[in-house]
Amino acid sequence: MSTNAPQQPAGDLGGPGPGVASGQSGDVLLTGANGGPASSLRRGRVLGGLALTLGLSLFLANGLLARAREERAVERAQRRAGVALLSLADVVQRAGGTGDGVRAAVKDWPLPAGASVRVIAFNGIRLEASTFPEDTGDKAAPRRLSRDEKPLYDRGQRLRAAVETNREEGGARKPEVESEARPSGGRLLSAPVEVDGTVVGAVEVATPPVPPVGRGGLAEALAAFLVPLGVCGGAGFLVRRQRVLAGVAAVLFVAGLGGYAVHSMRTLADELRGTQEAVGAELRERTTRAQALLAAHGLRTEPPLTPAAWDADSLRHPLGLLTDAGQPVEAMLATRVAQVRDEASRALGLLGVLGLALLLYVGLGGLHRTAATLKEHRQAYAYILPALVGMLLLVFFPFGYGIALSFTDANLYNTHQPLSELWVGLRNYVEILGDFQIARRAADGSLVFNYLNFYYTLFFTVVWTVTNVAIGVTVGLVLALALNVPNLRLRPVYRVVLILPWAMPNYITALIWKGMFHQQFGVVNQVIRMFGGQGVSWFDSPTTSFLTALATNGWLSFPFMMVVSLGALQSIPAEIYEAARVDGANRWQQFTAITLPALRPALVPAVILSVVWTFNMFNIIFLVTGGDPGNSTEILVTQAFKFAFQRYRYGYAAAYATIIFGILLLYSLVQNRVSRATEAA
Amino acid sequence: MTTVRTLVAALCLCALGLLPLPSFAATELVLWHAYRAEEKAALEKVVAEYNAANAAKGIKVTTLAVPYDAYADKISATVPRGKGPDLFIFAQDRLGGWIESGNTVEPIDFYLDDATKKRFIPSTMEAMTYRGTTYGLPLNYKVITLIYNKKLVPVPPKTTGELVKLAKTLTDKKAGRFGLAYAYSDFYYHAALMNGFGGGVFGANVTPTLNSAQNVKSLELMMKWLEKDGIVPTEPSTALITALFNEGKAAMVFSGPWFLGEVAKGVDYGLARLPILDEAGGKPMSPWMTVEGVYVAAPSKNKEAAYDFARFLTEASSAKTLALEGRQSPSNQAVYSDAKVAADPQLKAMREQVEVAVPMPNVPEMSMVWSPATSAMNAIVKKASTPKAAMDVAQKAVAKDVANLRKK
Repeated sequence: MSTNAPQQPAGDLGGPGPGVASGQSGDVLLTGANGGPASSLRRGRVLGGLALTLGLSLFLANGLLARAREERAVERAQRRAGVALLSLADVVQRAGGTGDGVRAAVKDWPLPAGASVRVIAFNGIRLEASTFPEDTGDKAAPRRLSRDEKPLYDRGQRLRAAVETNREEGGARKPEVESEARPSGGRLLSAPVEVDGTVVGAVEVATPPVPPVGRGGLAEALAAFLVPLGVCGGAGFLVRRQRVLAGVAAVLFVAGLGGYAVHSMRTLADELRGTQEAVGAELRERTTRAQALLAAHGLRTEPPLTPAAWDADSLRHPLGLLTDAGQPVEAMLATRVAQVRDEASRALGLLGVLGLALLLYVGLGGLHRTAATLKEHRQAYAYILPALVGMLLLVFFPFGYGIALSFTDANLYNTHQPLSELWVGLRNYVEILGDFQIARRAADGSLVFNYLNFYYTLFFTVVWTVTNVAIGVTVGLVLALALNVPNLRLRPVYRVVLILPWAMPNYITALIWKGMFHQQFGVVNQVIRMFGGQGVSWFDSPTTSFLTALATNGWLSFPFMMVVSLGALQSIPAEIYEAARVDGANRWQQFTAITLPALRPALVPAVILSVVWTFNMFNIIFLVTGGDPGNSTEILVTQAFKFAFQRYRYGYAAAYATIIFGILLLYSLVQNRVSRATEAA
Repeated sequence: MTTVRTLVAALCLCALGLLPLPSFAATELVLWHAYRAEEKAALEKVVAEYNAANAAKGIKVTTLAVPYDAYADKISATVPRGKGPDLFIFAQDRLGGWIESGNTVEPIDFYLDDATKKRFIPSTMEAMTYRGTTYGLPLNYKVITLIYNKKLVPVPPKTTGELVKLAKTLTDKKAGRFGLAYAYSDFYYHAALMNGFGGGVFGANVTPTLNSAQNVKSLELMMKWLEKDGIVPTEPSTALITALFNEGKAAMVFSGPWFLGEVAKGVDYGLARLPILDEAGGKPMSPWMTVEGVYVAAPSKNKEAAYDFARFLTEASSAKTLALEGRQSPSNQAVYSDAKVAADPQLKAMREQVEVAVPMPNVPEMSMVWSPATSAMNAIVKKASTPKAAMDVAQKAVAKDVANLRKK
């Protein structure tokens, strides 16, 4: 690039490039003018890179910390509201879910300013009690819910269904406490009211907005920014080599960001302790109130109150962070702190790695080089930009999403949750690749294949691909040779007729072939019967079922091979054959010594392509055999499809698809190498 | 004077311009369905009636017929993103899946009053219910009945004992004649026997019960008909059954309303309730029914208006049009006391059959049953496996799939 720089000095000098960039272009000019040893050290680049990356990282870290603190504040509010909600639900349950007892409990329930509660009863779709400001006057409880309050009722019913589902399935996959944001900024929490094992209504608590948490930590961030920068500036005068200076900058970057990370974690741990205190105080207050209410209204006191259960997650499983007396459980708190710390250090670690990469990229001149190429070839980049954006949106984003999906447990039931909550790591891959139960011995000694096993399907897919390509190449080549006979009459007609299978949409062909193999009315069985044979139930055994798909795909694939071979055949000069004949070669010798080698450059790419197509030939398998009998004739793609849309395991199916991609990638890498070797030979 | 006249004219114009204002604020409801031919015509007629009655309120319903093959996927793709219709008509088998994936079907319990609920045949209402919540109004149902050739069967059999006795006299395998023909190896058709014995696919808590003793017993009865009694053809495909019935070579058929469209002109057929199972202590054969419901789309902006239309669509007067002109069997009970409907043998037979029919499960787990169950049925019919062993295999496969889906 130093040779480019002098060609555009005007642009470089006059360009009002911002900050680092303009400093760098000045740098380039300098070196271009001076050349020699000075070009080995560019302090501005390292210092600028450090300022940029550390500044950016600290800005982001500060943002992350602010968000984490806000999350903690929300969590605190949420947990306090949760305690208020579940304790009230407990009292309401003891009051029977409806009636005066419920209304008395709601009326006397202490709430912070701006918070309100209400109780809904399913029986008669009623608002049983409410302290919401709008439910006064002629809208005062108890009354029937009005039409625009349908969401309230639906929410309650959703909770009921969730409780019943979790109970029936013996699991916990549906939230039993819902929490949603209110337009006013606060949150609305709802919990079911269970009386004698059935959900008869719901309790809702609306909380006021959480006051915003100040950004904070700015002074620390500034210190973590300026100190390393100063040190780096000083080091610039001592160090004489670019790489060493970049190394020093990297160490300083890590130190700066690390220092700030330590500060962040300490802040978060303090926040957690504070939350614990606040929720504990809430719990103690609620316990006294609840006991007073139970005594005052003669409500059921059996079983005794278990306040610790009020501090629960959305599945109503107690968090275990507080005792019944409202005292913190230190061990659980420590785990929670460690968990939060882990999360924070993971985020900051990622930030650090990215920042470090960027720092080295800038410091070692990568950015500079990129900018130079961008500038030099700007026209070319402008031209490919639309395609690039298109590829990014239509190919790389779905591709990346699919890969991310493969590490999750996404299925029909949890599609609304973010992928990060469904993360299961490599479990899907282990489950797919680690299952070696390909076959087992049945009681009578015969071998029973496990058709859902990945390796069986892979084996079947490979057999399917190899046989299909072999048939396609053989039939295509034979037909091409036949059509290549000199002075053949009506050649164009034959050619058109033979290309027809290729010209038809392949799913139509597939459906026609499926019909032809019908046990009762299919033409194949009719022909067999015509000659006195017994009709075959084609789709009842794996082998015959495979044969039907093979026949269909063979029919579809030979025209392509024929066209490719025919084109290559016609380009072989007739003189070579003449010379061979003069030399006394017979037809077979001519074929092996002239025709085949001449065909190879055309056939090899065609075979490579056709292998990939056949490997993923979804239509034929799906439409002709449909995997019958019992998934024995599935290839990998159709199997992945069935996992996704018949068994609803999206994450698992995505892992399947990723593995298929891996196999084909490996294949193409190997194939590339091999074909390069053949080209060279 | 002229100014006054201009003013009046301007006022008039304004008034004229203002008059159509209510129609600006009109609510337009979009209804998707997959009907064709006379079913579509009947539906559109009912919609036109509704539009005429509600023009004053500014409500207008427009329909869109979606090709059936793409229909379910289109709903799954568009409705949760708010790009779909306000209402749609679909069978109950996909209901559970849509509810679990969320934001597709609106629960309607809140709107549903007892009078409306009582309007329907109870079992069709049950098909619209998932986990205790109602999600749609049942529009019509489809169910398998006994269809017989009147020339060969003057009086349809009431019990399986009578059925077998009669069928034996009508069967002549050499000549390709059969007393009974139905797609017994198809799990859907077999369900009539299975449910009759008290079996089923799922027990409480949606645990698969494919290998229950009742299911095995029902399969053994089917095999008895095939092997010992020999009253049914081997390898029954729907096309073969149609051909046999049309040629007068099958006296009786178990099939649904879709079969009637394929019966040849010259065949004089009758419909009757499926026989009572002597083998199950006199319990009736109870086929699965498919109920087509009208659902309000969860993201719709006009849910109340949409529900109101759904109610209109399932009223007795609408049901009458759908029944007589659309040839459907409405879920509305009152319509069957109408003289014209009561006189229709097809509608009458379906109505009798539905009394003992069982709604096909609407849980999403059902889609995991078909493939293993079909394999098991094939193995049993081909005698590659005993009913018990085949159902054990199927049970294991389904239980594994269900457990995998619920795994956390």
